[in-house]
Order: sequence, then C-alpha cells, then structure tokens
Amino acid sequence: MNEEQEINADEVKNDSQASEEETSISDSTQLEVSEFADKKTLGFGFWLATFWLVLISFLAVFSPILPFKDADKNYIAYEQKENPLTGKVQERPVQPPYAPSGEHWLGTDQDARDILSRTIEGARISLAVGALTALFGMVVGGTLGMIAGYFKGTLDKIIGAIFLVVLSFPGLILAILIVALLDRSLLTISVTLGILGVSPIGRLARAQTLSFSEREFVMAAETLGAKKSRILIKELLPNVLIPMSTLAMLVIAVAIVSEGTLAFLGLSVQNSATWGKLILTGSGLSTLESSPWVAFVPMGFLFLTVASFNYLSDRIRDYFDVRDIFVTRD
Amino acid sequence: MPKPIRRLIGLLGLLTIVSMVTFGAMNFLGDPLFNILGPVAADVDNPESLKVIEEAKAQYHLDKSLPERWARWAWDFVRGDFGVQFSSSGQPPVSDLIKERLPRTLELMAVAQIIAVSIAIPWSVLAASRANRRTDKISTITAFAFVSIPSFAMAVILFYFFSVQWDLLPDTYTATDPFWGISHDHRLIQLILPGFTLGLGSAAAYQRLLRTDLITTLQQDFILMAKSKGVSKRRVLYSHALRPSLFSMITLLAINIGFMIGGSLVVEQFFRIPGIGSAVVEATLREDFPVVLAIVMIVSAGFMVFNYIADYLYTLIDPRVRHEDTSKPRKITSMGM
Amino acid sequence: MLHETSEADNILELSDYRVGFRTERGLAKAVDGVSLSLQRGSTLAIVGESGSGKTVLNRGIMGLLGANIIEGGSAKFQGEELANTSRQKFWGTKMAMIFQDPMTSLNPVMKVGKQVSEPLRLHQGMSKKEARDRTVELFTLVGIPEPMKRFSEYPHQLSGGMRQRVMISIALAIEPDILIADEPTTSLDVTVQKYILDLLVDVQSKSNMSMIIITHDLGVARGRSDEIMVMYGGRIMEKAPSESVFVEMKHPYTEALLSSIPRLSDPKHTRLTPIEGFPPDIVDGPQGCKFAARCKYAQDICLTSTPEETIIDTHTYFCHFPVGTDAGAEAFKSNKDRGFTAAGLRIKSKREVV
Ligand SMILES: Nc1ncnc2c1ncn2[C@@H]1O[C@H](COP(=O)(O)OP(=O)(O)OP(=O)(O)O)[C@@H](O)[C@H]1O
Ligand code: SF4
Ligand SMILES: [Mg+2]
Repeated sequence: MNEEQEINADEVKNDSQASEEETSISDSTQLEVSEFADKKTLGFGFWLATFWLVLISFLAVFSPILPFKDADKNYIAYEQKENPLTGKVQERPVQPPYAPSGEHWLGTDQDARDILSRTIEGARISLAVGALTALFGMVVGGTLGMIAGYFKGTLDKIIGAIFLVVLSFPGLILAILIVALLDRSLLTISVTLGILGVSPIGRLARAQTLSFSEREFVMAAETLGAKKSRILIKELLPNVLIPMSTLAMLVIAVAIVSEGTLAFLGLSVQNSATWGKLILTGSGLSTLESSPWVAFVPMGFLFLTVASFNYLSDRIRDYFDVRDIFVTRD
Repeated sequence: MPKPIRRLIGLLGLLTIVSMVTFGAMNFLGDPLFNILGPVAADVDNPESLKVIEEAKAQYHLDKSLPERWARWAWDFVRGDFGVQFSSSGQPPVSDLIKERLPRTLELMAVAQIIAVSIAIPWSVLAASRANRRTDKISTITAFAFVSIPSFAMAVILFYFFSVQWDLLPDTYTATDPFWGISHDHRLIQLILPGFTLGLGSAAAYQRLLRTDLITTLQQDFILMAKSKGVSKRRVLYSHALRPSLFSMITLLAINIGFMIGGSLVVEQFFRIPGIGSAVVEATLREDFPVVLAIVMIVSAGFMVFNYIADYLYTLIDPRVRHEDTSKPRKITSMGM
Repeated sequence: MLHETSEADNILELSDYRVGFRTERGLAKAVDGVSLSLQRGSTLAIVGESGSGKTVLNRGIMGLLGANIIEGGSAKFQGEELANTSRQKFWGTKMAMIFQDPMTSLNPVMKVGKQVSEPLRLHQGMSKKEARDRTVELFTLVGIPEPMKRFSEYPHQLSGGMRQRVMISIALAIEPDILIADEPTTSLDVTVQKYILDLLVDVQSKSNMSMIIITHDLGVARGRSDEIMVMYGGRIMEKAPSESVFVEMKHPYTEALLSSIPRLSDPKHTRLTPIEGFPPDIVDGPQGCKFAARCKYAQDICLTSTPEETIIDTHTYFCHFPVGTDAGAEAFKSNKDRGFTAAGLRIKSKREVV
C-alpha cells in the first residue's frame, strides 16, 4: 500500500462542527457537569468569606456612627431586691458579668461593658494591624522583589540576601524585642509585623517577575524601547499582583493572629481594645467559669476573619492556578 | 564545593549576621549599663556611683566600641560562654538558664509533634480513601478550620472544655518544678493540653499536605497493582500508599520542629511552662540582653538547621532519590512568626 | 454467537460488554459492545491503536477502573457474572495483571522481594521464609540474575527488563487462572521485548492458565497467541485464529495495521500511528462504521449503517466491504478512481508520491 493518504480539509471541518454541537447538547443533559463546574468557579464559600469580611470591615469603619452601645461604658443593671438587713425592697445593682440578652446581645464582661461593642471596637485595631502589615509587606517586599526579578544580577543577589537574613530571624522574638524596646503603638506593631512579611512576599514577587519578564509581551515592549520603569509598572505589576495579593491575604491573617499572640504576651497596642486583648481578658479561670462569652465572642470574630482570609487566599490561588504552597502558623 | 556544604557555610554566615543585628539593635534601643546597674547607672553626678559605673564599664567592656564588644561576645559564644544574666541576682551564667529551660521546650515540642503525627496520618488516610466524598469534604473543612485557629485561641478553647467544663484535666498549671517539687507524672499530665494545643494545629497542616499527596499516590499504577494482588484495602492504604506519600509532610515536620523551638511562646506562657519561650519573653521585658541574645541565637540556629535538614531529609528517606526523581516534595514556603 | 466449545470450558465470557466514563462532555464510551470468549489455557491477543480501549476493556474485566464508570452488557468469569460479584475475591488468587509500565506499577519505596512475596503470604498462607524461598525461585525462573541480592533491592535499582521480570514473578506467584498482560513490553528495548514475551508464553504454556496479551503491534501477537482480536474505537473490528489474521485478514483496519509492523530501526518507545488521522471521538462518535473516516474502502453506506457481524467458521469481522472480497476490491477501485472516499479521505495515486 504505497498510496499516501491525507485527510480532507472539509472532513476536519465537519468534525469540529459536530463536536461543537455535542458539547452544547451534553452540557445541558449531563448530571456530572456540576462536579466539574465546581472546580472552575470560586464557589459558595468564597462569597460567604467575602461577605463576612465586607461586613466586619464595614462595622469596624463605621462603628462610631452606628447605633452600637458605648464600648467603654459600664452598663450596670439594677433590680428590686429585699435588703436582708432592713427587710426593705430596694433598687440594687446586679453583679456583672451579664449573660447575652436582649439588652446585651452578646453579653457583658465583668465591668458590665457590652461585648459586641467591644469586639467591634477590637476589630478596628486588629483589622488596621492586618491591613497596615500587608500594605507594608506588599509595598516594600513587592518593590524589592520586582526589582530583583527584573534587573537580576548583583541587585538580585543583594536583595535576595536581605530577604534571607530577615527570614532567618525568629520572627516572633524579633517582634517582641522591637515592640518591647520601642513602643506599643499601632504603627510600630504593624511595621514590625510588616517587616516579617517582606521576605515571603518579596520572594514571590521576584519569582513571578522573573518568569513574566521572559514572556513575549515584555520582550515586545522592550524592543519597542519602553522605559524600564514603565515595563515594571505597566506590564509586570498587573501580573505579579494577583499571586502577591493571595499571599498578602495570608499575611493579613498572620498579622491578626500575631497581634493576638503579642496581646497574650502583654505586648499589644496600648490603650485600645484589640481582639487579642479581649480574648486574654476573658481567658482567666474564673472568667471562663462564670462568663465564657467574654473570651469566645471576640475569638469567634477573630476566627471567622482569619479563616475567611485564609480561605479567600486558597480559592484565588486555586482559581489562578498559583502552585506554591504557603504554610502559615503563629 | 558540594551544595550541601556550601549551604552549611551560608548558614553560619547568616547566624553571624543575625547575631550582629540583634546585638546592635539591643545596644541602640536599650541601655546595657542600666540593665546591669539599675538606677545607679543614671547617677553620674555622684562620684561614688561614677566609680561603680566605671568599674562596670570596664568589667563588661562597655567602654569599647560596638564592633569590638560584638567580637568579644562572639568569641565567648563560640567557646560556649554565653555570658551572665544581667537581671538575676548574683548574675548566674546564661547557660544555666538555657540548660534548665531548653529541655522543657523540647519536651513540649516532642509531645506536640507525636500528637500531631498520630492524628494526621489516620486522618489523611481516611480522607484520601474517600476522596471528594462526604467524609473527605467534612474533614477538609475541619482541617481548614483548625489551621485558622491561632494557638492562643486553641489553648483557651481546650482549657475551657477539658479543664473548666468537663473537669478532665487540671485547671491550674504549675509545671514549674523543680521549684514546686511536683512529680513527673503530674508534669506529664500538665503537658497534655499544651501538647494538644500545638499538636492539633500541626495535625491539620499535615493533613492538608498528606491528603493531597495520598490522593496523588492512590492514582498510581502500583496501587492498582497492589489491589490486583489481592491486598486488602487497609493494607493498600497503609503499607503501599502511605510511605511514598509521606515526604512533603516530613519536610514540613522538620520545618515545624525548627520553628517551634521559638514558636511555642504563647503556649508556654498560657500554661506556665518554664521553657525557652517564656524565658525569652521574661528576658525581653527585663531587657536582659545576654539572655535574649543567646536565645535568639539558639532559636535561629535551630530554625535554620531544621530547615536545612528538611531540604535534604527526603534524600535520606526516599530510596528513589539516587536515581531520577519522579516525585520531589512540593515547594513549601513557610511564613509566619 | 457461535462457539466451538461448550461454555463450561470458557474461563471468560463477554457479551456486548460496555464501559463508559462519566466526563465533562458526557459519557465516554471507551468499550462499546465487545463480545468474546476465552478458553481455559488459551491465549488471546488484543491489538489496536492507542486509545482503542484495550486497557479499559481489561481493567474493566479486572475491576480496576474505580467508581466513575458505567458498565453494561455481561462479563462472566468462570461462569460468574462479574457485575454481581466482588472482584476482590479473584484478586491475588485467580486473576493477575501485568501493567504496561513496570516503572510506575511497582511500588517505588518497597523492596521488590516484598512485592513478590506479599501475595504469597496473604493468599497462600506461607511463612516469611517460605515466601522468600518461593520468590527467589520465581526470580530464577524468570531469569533474574543474583535473585537473593535482588530480593532486597528497590525497583529503581533494576533495569526496565528486570522490573518487568519482577512483575511477571508477581503474576506467577499468584498462580492465576487468567493473566492479563497489558502491553508488557512497550517500554522496553526491542531485544528485551522478545525475551519477555517468549518468557510469558513459555510460562503460560507450562501452566494451564489463560492469557490475554494486549499490544498495538500485530507482530507481537503473531505466533504468541491462539486468537487475535483487533479493536478500534472501543469496538471489535475483526477476530480470528492467530494465523488466519495474517493470511486472510478481512478488515481494512487490520490490513492497515499489518502494513505498519514496527521495524527494528524504529527508536524504542515508538508509538505507531499506522494510519493517517485520529481515532474517533468516543463521547459521541460517528454514525456507521467507526473506521470510515480513515478507511480507503469507505462507501456511502459505511457512513450511515454500522456493519453487522459476519462470521465465517472461527473468523468474525464487522465490515461492509471486506478485504479480499469482490465487494471490497470494487469499493477500493471506485474510491481510487475518483480520488477520495465517501468520507472525503483523499487517495493519492502512486505517481504523485515523489
Ligand atoms: N478515566 C478515564 N476517563 C475518561 N476517559 C478515559 C479514562 N481512561 C481512558 N479513557 C479513554 O478511553 C479510551 C480508551 O483508552 P485505553 O487506555 O483503553 O486505550 P488503549 O487502547 O489502552 O491505548 P494505549 O495503547 O495508549 O494504551 C481513550 O480515548 C481514553 O481517553
Ligand atoms: S469498508 Fe466500510 S465498513 Fe469496512 S471498515 Fe471501511 S468504512 Fe468500515
Ligand atoms: Mg493501554
């Protein structure tokens, strides 16, 4: 059989038309579609997490103008009670803490302060710490990483060494040291935690920049004579931003947790309620016995927030197929 | 020079930098003289105080330049002399404190990791063998939740349920023997909650890795081969699928161990375990620099060494490595504090 | 169907057997109505291009396809309907399988000796020592040098040929009633291939086990099987006693396969695509004969009507215009004259090939 054979072009065309039709038919008829669709969308959990984060941020930002109770006021309740000495019925204060009720939806602490209000107050600081930390990490780490990845060479080596050194410090001890020796302001704490976020974010930014800087569209821009700064910002930044922001979300989660950790070591933001401090106040033996809600309410808020950030990061990484595994811990 | 050796030398370099930065920062941000002498240090107008100050300066080489002082410290350090504890009366050597505290932290860590691994393995096997079915989905969510619970919160939760509500475990923590003279058994009981606090989080992290790796392994031909040999389902899972799936988890385990030397601070603090973590917190608050410095060095050395081990560990435990390697552990970026 | 022998002699009996995978696009009909019977002690070779459903068919018989499938028709093993039986009771005792790639089908972190002795210990109640002795014996039998030393080595320490011998030892250790060898030599050097195949046939003929050899290479099947079955697009194209396939093949696909038996000069691992074009879509394949798009004999009827089964003695085929018949010759001639087939495949005349 020596004849050469060839597939007729028409034939191929027919085939592809046919398969288009098939897909449209099978899409609507196959039960299994949902299983696969699951992988391609962000999923219900994603929106749930987003909803929670939007809600808590909204409450935190607008709490001063929202009709919440005063976070610092002592809402002592009174009741009519017979005085055992005089036998007269008198109005007497009830010993706080008060359990959750219509008056205090999530109860009060030992000083009769409203837990819900205090927890939302705490959200202001805790979220601020998270946001500032991530911002610092993104700006410093992202810039350094992109520069290292784009210019390569000596600059890359130097920046890489800086990342390595920062990574080699025991993070929490470093944070304690700085916070204890400097001051316990929101800014100090955020910048300290931010420094710890610089290396992971920076390394990711570097790796992404490195791989994108060899793609055609960057090469094309280069040959067209675009300025380096322009290429970095216009061409590379948008591509680095998504993986970087998934990591930044983890950094926010880690920062919120770290604030709590510092609080448990007595080193959190001074003169303000934070989630860590609220949980700490509620976690003494006697408080846990008499009023577990004091610790568990802020803990619930903290957990939902941290879990939401973790989950969003996870989903987005899946969605955009970022392969690195990040292991966070506190 | 072979790569492992080069890296080892790099580690020494890093440690040197870490010590320089810490040393410098503490001298900039704090005042060592004040920490040694207390209020006397500020009393420069009084000739008697001045004399004491001069003496102390000479004794601790505070009159020398910063680089020289660092060099002296480093020289002592490599010979095993960690200096003295400024803040304790009689200024006993730092090494006494380390000798007393380090074993406690290591003990806690061992308990925690044993708990973590013994939970993570059956948990992952269960989930992977029912991949994407209900059991697996529930366990994935559970693992996710556990990873998101910070250790201080986990400590409070466990303490609340096991000690306060159900009264199963002690609610006062006095693991501070030898000072309190409690028995060894008692101390072990006091390690249960802290162990689980650290262990559950790790277990969840391990589960997430191991489950994925197991699912990958379970799709390999040699699993079908084992099945077709008539090996029971259980045996397929535990003796065929588990071992080749363990490498990423072991890598993370090593990283975790290195990390936990310095990372169990909160748990030590909460359960009053006199480990190296609570030592560094106390020392920092008292600005006891030699102690802080020594612990920083130990912790970062531990962290680096275990990271280093993690990178080469699988070459020791995976028989395939000598040949073309088909399943390298995935890249694990650890972050956190 | 016609059978020369009574059913009792048949160890395996498939009738209209089907396997479909649930996929995104719909049901992928990987095996689409296969009927066959395999006698005790005989060897069947299944031949077909990549993607023709050979592996799926055999893993279906073994019950190794997992949960995401739909099976249809009937498959009987030793008279038992497999759909109603837990396959587990045959694994390791009555059925054994040798996989395509010995690198991926041996456990990389378990010593090979243990992998062979495992079924011995689990199913034949041997002690550790007995199992070890038997393993060493089997290693010797399949020609593994220094069997004692090899016992405690890992798969990666062995060459491809040695690994495949280990796989064969495992199959032999089981002493199965049926052995399915799924392209046991594709990943091996040509010289090793022949040795392994002959070894398999040798062992098979000494015991009374039945064997299915899967291959994409008709040359491999020749002389090593009693019957050859040619598969395409999940269906049987032609089935006949081994030699008659070569001397009086009836199906155009078989003919095309035969014209492309691999030569020694081919680099190893060469996957032959004997015929221009691609296998049919198995989710929603063409109407009529599945091979029509690539067949040089194809006429209009081939595009609309699936050819019926034609049985002549022991020879079965599915084709409207069989090779070597007048109808076939005429069909080919008319296609050649007009330059293309009914499906639009162009046929160049010899002169155009420079
Ligand atoms: N798990 C699966 N899900 C969906 N389709 C599958 C699955 N496994 C196999 N298939 C499809 O079934 C068809 C038959 O595949 P099979 O592996 O049986 O071919 P084969 O004849 O063994 O080929 P080869 O010579 O390459 O081994 C192919 O089209 C393949 O894509
Ligand atoms: S001649 Fe027709 S029926 Fe026969 S193989 Fe070709 S296309 Fe199929
Ligand atoms: Mg195959």
